[in-house]
Amino acid sequence: MVARDMLDVDRIDTDIAVIGTGGAGLMCVLHAASADPTLDITLLSKGAVGRSGCTRMVQGGYNVVLDPADSLELHFADTLEGGKYLNNQELAWTLVSDAPRVIHELETRVGCFFDRREDGRIHQKAFAGQGFDRTVHRGDLTGIEIMGRLRDQMFRLGPRELEDVRALDLVFDDDGELAGLTGLDVRTGRFVVIRARVVVVATGGAATMYRIAAPAREKTGDGIAMCYRAGLEMRDMEMMQFHPTGLLAGNSRLTGAVLEEGLRGAGAFLLNVDGERYMSRYDAERMERSTRDVVSRASYTEIMQGRGTASGGVLIDISHLGVEEVERRFPGMVARTRQIGADLARGPVEVSPTAHFHMGGVVIDPDCQTSIGGCLVAGEDAGGTHGANRLGGNGVAESTVFGARAGDTAARIARARQLRTPDEQQVATSISRALAPLQRERGPWPFALTAELKDLMWRCCGVVRDETGLNEARTALDGLEQRLAEVSVPGPPRANFAWQEALDLENQMTVARLVVESALLRKESRGAHFRSDFPERNDDEWLRYVVLRRGRDGFDVEMRPVEFSRSELPTKVVANP
Amino acid sequence: MTTLRISVHRSEPDRLETFEVERDDPMMVLDLLLAIQRTHDASVGFRFSCRVAMCGTCTLRMDGRTVLACQTPVPTDTDEIRLDPVAGLPVVRDLIVDTAPFWQEWATVMPYLVPNEELTEPAVVRPDSPERQIIDPALDCIGCGACYSSCGIANSRRDFLGPAALNRAMVLIADSRDAAADERMAAIDGAMGVDGCHYMYGCTSVCPKGLDPAGAIRKLRSWRLHGRP
Repeated sequence: MVARDMLDVDRIDTDIAVIGTGGAGLMCVLHAASADPTLDITLLSKGAVGRSGCTRMVQGGYNVVLDPADSLELHFADTLEGGKYLNNQELAWTLVSDAPRVIHELETRVGCFFDRREDGRIHQKAFAGQGFDRTVHRGDLTGIEIMGRLRDQMFRLGPRELEDVRALDLVFDDDGELAGLTGLDVRTGRFVVIRARVVVVATGGAATMYRIAAPAREKTGDGIAMCYRAGLEMRDMEMMQFHPTGLLAGNSRLTGAVLEEGLRGAGAFLLNVDGERYMSRYDAERMERSTRDVVSRASYTEIMQGRGTASGGVLIDISHLGVEEVERRFPGMVARTRQIGADLARGPVEVSPTAHFHMGGVVIDPDCQTSIGGCLVAGEDAGGTHGANRLGGNGVAESTVFGARAGDTAARIARARQLRTPDEQQVATSISRALAPLQRERGPWPFALTAELKDLMWRCCGVVRDETGLNEARTALDGLEQRLAEVSVPGPPRANFAWQEALDLENQMTVARLVVESALLRKESRGAHFRSDFPERNDDEWLRYVVLRRGRDGFDVEMRPVEFSRSELPTKVVANP
Repeated sequence: MTTLRISVHRSEPDRLETFEVERDDPMMVLDLLLAIQRTHDASVGFRFSCRVAMCGTCTLRMDGRTVLACQTPVPTDTDEIRLDPVAGLPVVRDLIVDTAPFWQEWATVMPYLVPNEELTEPAVVRPDSPERQIIDPALDCIGCGACYSSCGIANSRRDFLGPAALNRAMVLIADSRDAAADERMAAIDGAMGVDGCHYMYGCTSVCPKGLDPAGAIRKLRSWRLHGRP
């Protein structure tokens, strides 16, 4: 424990501290600064500002109702159908009803320019699971256009940018009121205590806890873990989306990178090692164009039942469209496969389901408020908008819509909240916890443990789950946690990424526990959550969502009924869970 | 399986340190660094995020040439590779640099759209319009700084705006939605701007997104002389 009076930390006072600089974080800054330019805003980015996280990596696009022939009600219905009616309907409605305004703002204020139709108006393309072609995009690099332009807005607005500074913990004053947060400057190895009237948590999810995973390095559930430690409620934590076509590239870090959804839309086949189009046995009608959850489960089943390739994958083949056509329509994807010695334009490429997006997260209201006054959560860290499964194209919509809302809320409430002084004991505890792996003189490096966690989650809490495997995961996580407490990292505190990995691992482990616990509790199959021991969707019992929070001794669990505040459950029988 | 000898720039103290890494397939330069970190020296400093050439943070020099570590396969014609930080930016540690000077130059050209008064609805612009023909191939800059590192002027003279910032300025000046073209034309004028370029095309030859910053600079010079479109 660091003695309280010995703390050598930097101290910053600010009105609004925003943690994370993906779509949600930067939209939040844009809105807060535009609402009240006199506010002092501080931006924390675990990596490079505007270039960390996953909004940047968005290929597909942005679902939004623009065409008079489309309607908010239809987008809403698609979102609930996709989410298998587990969604918080107020959040889902907020998503679809704010999206047109936000796209308008991105185009006319932020400087984004999305692809146009021949007549010069915004082009909208088809995406899986939607009753109307409503996905706005910029080629297949939509994320770069949105994040590049948003990042450039920061040069106009000039918030205080703390680049390479990771947030550690929310801290409170003697009255238990939110006072701000602790952070670690990754570059210098120095700690920082930030007093803030409002803290916005927008760090992104933790799908990196799986052996095959799509997200960027930074995404280790820091926000969710931090909020959990602070006592906030988490919902739908069992709902982890697997994208069906992650690239398999051996030991390369490229493994898990997404080959885009559009390939299946354009007519790509999925084949097992026998050359069979196995989707005919899972969804004969929609075949490869079925939804992400169904296709992922089918591929996973093929692989697990021994019909996968030697390296544990299946094959995607679009070469029947002809080399020129594939090169013209999917230049980025062709380049990505050629980089590893395969060639999407000329033959099959090995793929596997890849952990992609976490639907679960912190319980929020449509203004991004939580049960802690002054603590807002936006984007993937929050749960409820997508229910049991997210539609492609609703992700970047979520981060920008709720980021903007968080900014509006923050600007509205900041002045009314005092700047409070955190309890120094909490600060010391947070810093001691972070310092521990660096100060331990002997012990293993964190890398092998990270690999074990990823294997464990993949095997026991992945695309298909059952009670035995989940119990094994729960027990194994206890063991991993004990070993994490012995991890030691060498080198100086400055720019020490082994140290950072140890801190990442602690957060990933916290989120992993929440996922496993929630998955054990939901004894049915719905959306992304599939239990082979309870393979049916059970609407009689399970139109409820699992809420977990930190209890005195383990988790406090609550099952809450879904509120059908805007839409009833359709009466038609649903074939797929 | 062959063994690769990887010489990595280490900053404390300043030296080259050589590691032996087993060749794998497929293997990117980023995978080399991860292998070194995981099996040899956990403290080796390098950066990456997305590993699919979208974040632009893993830029470094491999045998002198500036590349993105994540999208550069380990060469098959040699077993000896040298890795250095990008040129022209202060080293934080090992292969990690402080990109602040790059972004300061970028900020100088007012890199954000200044919407003109008529822009109340998404602009109606045909995809085959002259303006989009200029802009579209010059978008998708990921701010990786490869052009800056490979530019003999930018990496030696701190006052030159550099290829990426000038490319961004060109994109905005060509955009009919923007109202600040005159200010930007002024910002890119002179020896610290377009006149600083000596057309060595280092920028264009290394851009991992296939952009042509040198071409953008030519356009800006031509617009200065003949008026912008």
